[in-house]
Amino acid sequence: MSDQATQPATPSRLAKAWDSDFMYNFRHSPVAMVSFFVVALLVLGAIFAPLIAPYDPFDPASLDLMNGYTAPMAPNDFTGDVFWLGTDDQGRDVFSTILYGMRISLFVGFAAVAFAMVLGITLGLIAGYVGGWTETIIMRAADVQLTFPAILVAMLIFGVAKGITPIEHQDTMAIWVLIIAIGLSDWVQFARVVRGATLVEKDKEYVQAARMIGRGKGIIMLRHILPNVLSPVLVIATISLALAIIAEATLSFLGVGAPPTQPSLGTLIRIGQDFLFSGEWWIILFPSITLLALALSVNLLGDWLRDALNPRLQK
Amino acid sequence: MKRAIGIVAVGLSLAGPAFANEFKWAGTTDPQTLDPHAVNTASVLGFLNNVYEGLVRRGKDMSIEPALATRWEPIGNGEGWRFHLREGVTFQDGSTFDAEDVLFSYQRASDEVSDTRSWFAPVSDVKVVDAYTVDILTNAPNPIFPDSIANWMIMDKGWAETNNAALPDKENGNYATLNANGTGAFKVTEREPGLRTELMPNDGWWGEVEHNITRAEFTPVQNPATAVAALLSGNVNMINPVPIQDAERLADSGDVKVIRGIEARVIMLGMAQEADVLKYGDDAGKPNPFLDARVRAAVAHAVNVPAILKVTMRGNAEPASQLVSPAMRGYSDANSARPEFDPEKAKALLAEAGYPDGFSFGLKCPNNRYLNDEAVCQAVTSMLSQVGMNAQLEAMPVQNYWPELREDNYDMYLLGWSPGTFDAEHPIRFLASTPNKEKKLGSWNFAGYSNARIDELLPMIQSEIDPAKRQAMLDEAAKIMQDETAYVPMYVQPLVWGTGKNIELTQRPDNFFILRWVTVQ
Repeated sequence: MSDQATQPATPSRLAKAWDSDFMYNFRHSPVAMVSFFVVALLVLGAIFAPLIAPYDPFDPASLDLMNGYTAPMAPNDFTGDVFWLGTDDQGRDVFSTILYGMRISLFVGFAAVAFAMVLGITLGLIAGYVGGWTETIIMRAADVQLTFPAILVAMLIFGVAKGITPIEHQDTMAIWVLIIAIGLSDWVQFARVVRGATLVEKDKEYVQAARMIGRGKGIIMLRHILPNVLSPVLVIATISLALAIIAEATLSFLGVGAPPTQPSLGTLIRIGQDFLFSGEWWIILFPSITLLALALSVNLLGDWLRDALNPRLQK
Repeated sequence: MKRAIGIVAVGLSLAGPAFANEFKWAGTTDPQTLDPHAVNTASVLGFLNNVYEGLVRRGKDMSIEPALATRWEPIGNGEGWRFHLREGVTFQDGSTFDAEDVLFSYQRASDEVSDTRSWFAPVSDVKVVDAYTVDILTNAPNPIFPDSIANWMIMDKGWAETNNAALPDKENGNYATLNANGTGAFKVTEREPGLRTELMPNDGWWGEVEHNITRAEFTPVQNPATAVAALLSGNVNMINPVPIQDAERLADSGDVKVIRGIEARVIMLGMAQEADVLKYGDDAGKPNPFLDARVRAAVAHAVNVPAILKVTMRGNAEPASQLVSPAMRGYSDANSARPEFDPEKAKALLAEAGYPDGFSFGLKCPNNRYLNDEAVCQAVTSMLSQVGMNAQLEAMPVQNYWPELREDNYDMYLLGWSPGTFDAEHPIRFLASTPNKEKKLGSWNFAGYSNARIDELLPMIQSEIDPAKRQAMLDEAAKIMQDETAYVPMYVQPLVWGTGKNIELTQRPDNFFILRWVTVQ
């Protein structure tokens, strides 16, 4: 009997999740499903790039210059090799380069958002809960930063960081500098939202109760308030991810981001730009389409998430 | 409102004819200084040739013709040369040109802090005979001396001294870095480094005016696609260079003209031959393999020059076997074969030298100086890694590049050399002589290549009058450098300029763009 009782319990959990408002919403939103599918496809492609990609574009020893400028699906004039999406000026397979480039774009995007999230949530919680001078300083700093376009802030941080790193480490440091630059330009969004939510939460009964039994400020902020302000953060994080990917591509396109030896999608588009007039359209077109698909579907997913998590919008 | 429209209308009607023959051009490299003695690079000297003048100048066919000197003759038995100066010439600020300015410009250009110092290695003294006669005395008979000073530009003594610019300042710059006062056909009226430079015709110029430009403006444009777009849209009247990948299509489009030629510039790889240890890569700090001539020869065999010419240069360049192109005087026909592409031989040479597993090192490269420079370096990187030499490539703008080379911050580097004298002696003096500040030799020999026989041959080549004997010595020098792989010459760079349909100009093989030969229809 007990067996029969527990048997349905396990699937019922899954079924419960499947039947939840959230999943119901997802299953009835074609946009959400398509964008989720595209994001999943691209992320998996990036993660398993070494298994999927026919060539390793980062290994200079594997390149044959004679394969340069091969058109998609057409055999090379000299070597006879065929490449799905063609090759660039160095004879690198564009398809493989996109997969590897996406890894860098996604890694920088996720890491920058994670960095911005940790920084923004911490400062927002402190500002909202502690108040007073601390709040004034943090929030005015955020206001000042908001008056500058994020990409400008990122370029400034990148420039300063480049100035202080020794030249021989710049290539290896470039990715980390990018993450910090984009993260620092993006924390304000998180801080403002978290502060607002904290202001609402901090005088509620459960927080007062926690205070009464003598819990410390840190514990209250982390264990009691934080879980209750997370859902708007999740939405911002998704939309920030799309913005971070685009910011990384912009910086790399301007030549201040990922180095040509570790090309991200933005670097690939910058390289391809040189061949806009000469007829080698595939060098710029395919990385651009990939970037478009990635940023668009992450954005759409974020939009849907915002609606799905907002009870006021539920029909 | 009506008044405003009226003013605009008047403004337009004035602007129309006044700027009818405005000429704008764009290039990849901004001249890094306006001081003609501070930096010896073609981008600086080529630009300043429009503003400053030398005693002699080069014509459309590169022949030497009178400029600030009207005639010259050898003194005695090869003790030097006497130059008779042009009278009635004034600098752009109005002061008169005379022999004192020539003497001053010699002292300035041959000073220890001047990059042009090695031009004056053969000179022992300069003497003012009278206000319009100057004797330039040489250490030994020097038959090609007048050919070698076309880029030695004359600066006004009074102007330089009043403005505290009596000596050039390469690093920090001074008044002459941002201002110019020559005798040439154009004067610099506005200078914003890295942004734009405005030139106006010099009304007081002594020469016969061939151009019809009323105002000229130079803008550095780094991105090749941007430059092409600017040319196609008519925002600029001329671009140099046209990206090689676009030349074919632009020429076919019929909207613009593409002017092609072969430049005198040989693109080569240089390798550290003085440093005891490697400075970059995973093997930094280990003994420098490039001291071994076999390793340098391995580099020469590992680089697939035919592939670079075919793909990266799209068939627009010629291979190079030595430091000068076949069009230069003194080219060694006897040594015209370049090391063939042979990765197996390269690997064998590396193994023989004690590096069977190769090594890792740093390759420095400019990214806005030569045609497709960064792409060539990337290709070289992958070719070298195929025989086990793992290059860590670092490409940078030329403003940062030269200082890095001067500081010896490289293991291997890319260099292009165009002999200012159009003679094979020139690169020996600059690139192959043992660096020697006293004797003003080897000032661009960053690698520190040194061979006693080359040092011995150079003065003999300089003073030899018999062409056959001179050629024999040049052949010997070329052979030594090939045998020791002093450099790895790769190819002769092509010249590809693009202009609007309404522009007539002359393309000189040294890639100097001379404004006074431009006419706008």
